[in-house]
Amino acid sequence: MNKTGIIIGREFWERVRKKSFIITTILTPILMIGLCLAPTLMMLHDTSDVRKIVVLDETEGQFVGRSLQSDKSVEYQLLENISRKEASAKYSDEKSAFGILWIGSDILEHTDHIQLISNASSSLMLEEKISDQVSEILRTEKLRSYNIDGLDKIIAESNIRVSLSTMKNDGSGDEENMEKTSTAASMVFSMILGMLLYMFIILYGQQVLTTVIEEKQSRVLDVMVTSCSPFQMMMGKILGIAAVAAVQVLIWGLLITIASTILTPMIPVEAMDATSGLSAATAKFGNILFILKLFLCLLLYIVGGFLLYASLYAAAGSSVDSAQDAQQFSTIILLPIVMGVIVMMSVYNNPDSGLAFWCSMIPFTSPIVMMARIPFDVPDWQIILSLLILYASFILTTWLAARIYRIGIFMHGRKPSWKDLGNWLRTK
Amino acid sequence: MNPILKIENVSKTYTGHKALDDVSLEIPQGSIYGLLGPNGAGKTTLIRVVNRITIPDCGKVIFDGHEITIDDIFSIGYMPEERGLYKKMRVGDQAMFFARLKGMEITKANKKLHEWFDRLEMSDWWGKKIEDLSKGMAQKVQFICTVVHEPKLLIFDEPFSGFDPINADILKREILGLRDRGATVIFSTHNMESVEEICDDITLINKSHNILSGSVDEIRRKAGGNTFLVTYKDLEQPLDELLSGKAECIGLPEGIIGGYTQQKVHIQSDDYVRDVIALLNGSSRLRSFQEVIPSMNDIFIRAVNGTL
Repeated sequence: MNKTGIIIGREFWERVRKKSFIITTILTPILMIGLCLAPTLMMLHDTSDVRKIVVLDETEGQFVGRSLQSDKSVEYQLLENISRKEASAKYSDEKSAFGILWIGSDILEHTDHIQLISNASSSLMLEEKISDQVSEILRTEKLRSYNIDGLDKIIAESNIRVSLSTMKNDGSGDEENMEKTSTAASMVFSMILGMLLYMFIILYGQQVLTTVIEEKQSRVLDVMVTSCSPFQMMMGKILGIAAVAAVQVLIWGLLITIASTILTPMIPVEAMDATSGLSAATAKFGNILFILKLFLCLLLYIVGGFLLYASLYAAAGSSVDSAQDAQQFSTIILLPIVMGVIVMMSVYNNPDSGLAFWCSMIPFTSPIVMMARIPFDVPDWQIILSLLILYASFILTTWLAARIYRIGIFMHGRKPSWKDLGNWLRTK
Repeated sequence: MNPILKIENVSKTYTGHKALDDVSLEIPQGSIYGLLGPNGAGKTTLIRVVNRITIPDCGKVIFDGHEITIDDIFSIGYMPEERGLYKKMRVGDQAMFFARLKGMEITKANKKLHEWFDRLEMSDWWGKKIEDLSKGMAQKVQFICTVVHEPKLLIFDEPFSGFDPINADILKREILGLRDRGATVIFSTHNMESVEEICDDITLINKSHNILSGSVDEIRRKAGGNTFLVTYKDLEQPLDELLSGKAECIGLPEGIIGGYTQQKVHIQSDDYVRDVIALLNGSSRLRSFQEVIPSMNDIFIRAVNGTL
């Protein structure tokens, strides 16, 4: 086994065996699932608290009050033969009613003649619920006043939504086999990639930096530089931590899959509706080969992007002596990612612009920007070139980090200046 | 015997001061070689030059007949002055890690390490973390990490600092054992007793210069310069007169114990030693005649002060 392998092994096993690793590996999925379930559970809990609203409807035949439908959270009670003054005296506390809904007799003409006089603090959701329902009743009433036959059917049928799918014209005229593209899905994918990359770098990139500094602070470095080359060491550290990240993410994925399989029946149908939008978007991709290509690129870019940024952290760790000194570097390193996300937004408007092209070649932004472009059918040579540049930059930066580390040892105990950094790179 | 390591005209300047100035020395194969010198003399810099941690401004390091390469460095055993071990790592894992980095197979490393741990009575520590060990214990672990791959050349920077006398003795015994099994050992130290006990040869570095090199016996003998302490009584004539032409007294008598006078004399040549003994024996009651070899401590101080 070569030395890089031995160092990867050490970084990996030392981290994986730590209590903190085990705890975060188990706790994170629980927290994530909790985070997803919490709103649903809160919603369920919320409905048990029924609010009674008394309705003082002054319209002819009380057509609004009679049409109001009570549900799990709101119960309407229509008042008859009572003046507004009497009602507000009678229902003046929370026990008797949550509030009084007053509807003016000329509500059809003056849509602001509706008021909720509440005994407790109202909520935006409740107010929207009431106004939605009242608006619907009024709209139906208004339509009814035109005396159209089969109105209900017309209303139901007129509720139309189109579903636009885009295809890339390959000139063959064979539309069946044209690649389907989807802006919505591509946005989702590149957003996920951007977030994942950012998360990975924050979580694990920092570890690369700390582990390089650890060598210096514990003075293991003297023994290390007389046992293996700094490049082997840097590579071992970066790949070791990348392996930890991969294993942790795999375990998370597995736990979340298992947990969601078990928990899905417990999630109310309404909550599921919200997530089904995403699966509908991905379904639009059609072509299985294209999905495979997308996932392969996703994997390659996320790994490459992580490795490149990890090597930048390694270089930062090599040029400083303490974690405090490293702080300033960490912020600078994150800037290109933010820049990538900004460019990504503009890519949706014009995926073939010069900016989009160059940012998908520059390795610091390419993982995010190229992933945003791929759903818009980028030529393969561009993807391959961009990946080559990305991985070559990773090797180069690691070499650079090793160089700074190796030569930086001369200077132990003294902060290097930018001039020193330049000199180190030239020194044989 | 061919030297295993030759240092030729090495100089190294850091910003503002010269750490090594034209230092040359030869380290014989299979010897224990002491690098002595006051703090800041340049010992550690010299060791780091040999290790290629520091690149010299000029000069060469020749190892085993060729200019030293990075692969040679990877094969030697080096224990730095500031001991470095991963604090959170378990002792056994750590020793295995370094042994394997030095190119040992897993099974062989495991076997050899257990042998060493047993010999130094450290077997209970295998599963402990470094941060739970005392400083001396951690140093023993580091010692094993340095020697387990049985390198031809071993370099220890201040190996005895931080050890109690019992552990220092164990360490000396092991260093002698390593030499007897064929290794060459270089170590830097301030501990002059250990130099007398285990070093075959030394170099004394002061203010970035090599001011004294050679075998310990020779250096002490030379520094002693045929000085003897004689103890006698009932001398028939003054000592200077008796020995005139062959030896002279150094200073006043050291003391008189039970009627016996103790006096240091300097004999002009090795050839006269027997004559002097004969003369003294013939004209006094000679009780003892003893060569005075200065301690390395004396030599160190005199050499650094320029009075050797």
